[in-house]
Amino acid sequence: MSKRVLVVEDQEDNRQILRDLLECAGYEMIEAHDGEGALIAARTQSPDLILMDIQLPILDGYEATRRIKAQSDLRHIPIVVVTSYALSGDEQKARAAGCDAYVAKPYSTRKLLETINRYLT
Amino acid sequence: MNLEADSTTSFLRPLAAIWRASRDGTSVKDGLVGFRSRPSLRTKLWMAFLAIEVLLVSVGVIGLLSLREADQQTNHVVALQHKIEAYRQVQHDTLRQLHGVSSALAFPNETTLASALRQINQFGYGLDRVSFVEKDEVALLDQVRDEYARFIAVVSDVVDLIRNGRGADAKQRELVELGPLADKLERLTNQLVNRAEADMVAGIDASRQTYARSAILVAAVALASLILTLVLGHAISRSVIDPVHIIHHGLNRIAAGDFTQRIDVPNRDELGALAAHVNSTCEELQQLYQSLEEASRHKSQFLANMSHELRTPLNAILGFSELLLDGIYGDLPKKMRSAVERIQRNGRHLLGLINDVLDLSKIEAGQLRLSLADYSVEELVSGVYTSVESLAAEKKLSLRIAVPPGLPPARGDERRLAQALFNLVGNAIKFTDAGEVWIEVEAKKDSYVFSVRDTGPGVDEADQIKIFQEFQQVDNSITKTKAGAGLGLAIVKRIVEMHGGRIWIESRIGHGATFSFLVPARLEQQAMQT
Repeated sequence: MSKRVLVVEDQEDNRQILRDLLECAGYEMIEAHDGEGALIAARTQSPDLILMDIQLPILDGYEATRRIKAQSDLRHIPIVVVTSYALSGDEQKARAAGCDAYVAKPYSTRKLLETINRYLT
Repeated sequence: MNLEADSTTSFLRPLAAIWRASRDGTSVKDGLVGFRSRPSLRTKLWMAFLAIEVLLVSVGVIGLLSLREADQQTNHVVALQHKIEAYRQVQHDTLRQLHGVSSALAFPNETTLASALRQINQFGYGLDRVSFVEKDEVALLDQVRDEYARFIAVVSDVVDLIRNGRGADAKQRELVELGPLADKLERLTNQLVNRAEADMVAGIDASRQTYARSAILVAAVALASLILTLVLGHAISRSVIDPVHIIHHGLNRIAAGDFTQRIDVPNRDELGALAAHVNSTCEELQQLYQSLEEASRHKSQFLANMSHELRTPLNAILGFSELLLDGIYGDLPKKMRSAVERIQRNGRHLLGLINDVLDLSKIEAGQLRLSLADYSVEELVSGVYTSVESLAAEKKLSLRIAVPPGLPPARGDERRLAQALFNLVGNAIKFTDAGEVWIEVEAKKDSYVFSVRDTGPGVDEADQIKIFQEFQQVDNSITKTKAGAGLGLAIVKRIVEMHGGRIWIESRIGHGATFSFLVPARLEQQAMQT
């Protein structure tokens, strides 16, 4: 059974890249378009890893990460934060929210896949 | 001296204030500073000097008055002296007359008698020389005159009796009348002299007392003036120096960037006006500073937003082209692959430009903080080498590094220093078409010098300063063909300066260029940004 990756991303084009990348790598992809959707999907779909964009509608990625990590039964799910903010302190903020890894946008698909593989194999 | 009564005259008001202040137990400074109607520092100083001059004049006047009194006393004593002399003369003359007359009568002949009479009548008593006399002395003198007149009359009678051959009658009268008269005259003149001498003793005594009184008075007034002048000087200087100090400290605070505090100077003079002016300027600065801060915040927010907006589509461009190149959608025909490679390359270039603009903006806004940690110079250089190796190989340039072995751990922002070195090496490779690029490190006392040497076209001396400024590129046909917004060196310069170091170039047209930067070996605290 293939591993499930929850992709939280509001941009369709970027979701498509990940769809293609993850499908090719043999992962199953679940999608959420905002922070709230991410919380629901994390609980109902029990993903093996979450790829979390930061700038999201309704609830941003930091807050969504914090809430997921606050739940004892979801805490074990690794969260890789993807940010396109360029200001200093982004990484610290992401780490403070409780994420496991941090990737800056625009990312190299190769490197992103390496990061995901590290948690899922 | 009650100045309060005169306080309607404006120039006396400060003095009245001082007087009131000292009377009410408040400090003189408060009296000076808090005085409402005193308009200016100039007036304040004028008042102080005026007061001092008034004191000087009063010391002088009191001195002169004392001198005059002493002079009068002296004159009085001198006059007494004259009087004593005159009285003594009177006494002397009287005794001589008495003696003359008694000897003439003892051995009477015409010659001695005539001579005695002549002498007696010539004797004017010189009493007129005694120009001033007391009332009781006038009576005494009149008595002397009267007695002398009687004496003359008796002597004349006695002489007449002798001349008339009545020697016995003459003797009788001489014994009965002349003797007592002579005694009385002698007593009276003695009395005159004694009284005058007593007067003189009293006069000298009075003179001494006057002198002592004057001396004490002058000394007291001088001392009082001195104290008053000192108090006045102190009050004036405090009312000037203190506000100046307060304003000075206030300006220091403003210079240090603290616009929240206000200078509190109670003066209502020029210094008060100056302090008020400083305060209003400070307020304006504070507002300006706040609006600048706000603008800076907006700028940062704008940059963050723009960064996101630019990176999102760029992510799609780079992501899809990478997936294409990695063959996720199947093998690409050769021409198509080359086109996608160009998309990928230009996308990365665009990303580099966006990153440069953001970096520079962050540095400008003071938002870039160095994250200081220990690093290995050798690893830093080899990291940069690895990332530019392929670029050099593409252009068939030989890339060499020379780092002294066994360098101790350095301290600084490794990522930023690597970015700086990467930028210099990237430029060297970009502008050098054939030859070599060297990356060298030299360990100096407490610092490291990183150098990048190339065999490129070199940089004209006139352009060597310009190239470190933003958006500046050397304008010649060679560089026009090279891409770049001219931000790289400006960023490198800022990074080096944030480390408290400096950057420079040595180059000659046609003989390549060497870019070097020096940074402290161990940076414990980020340098001030300029």
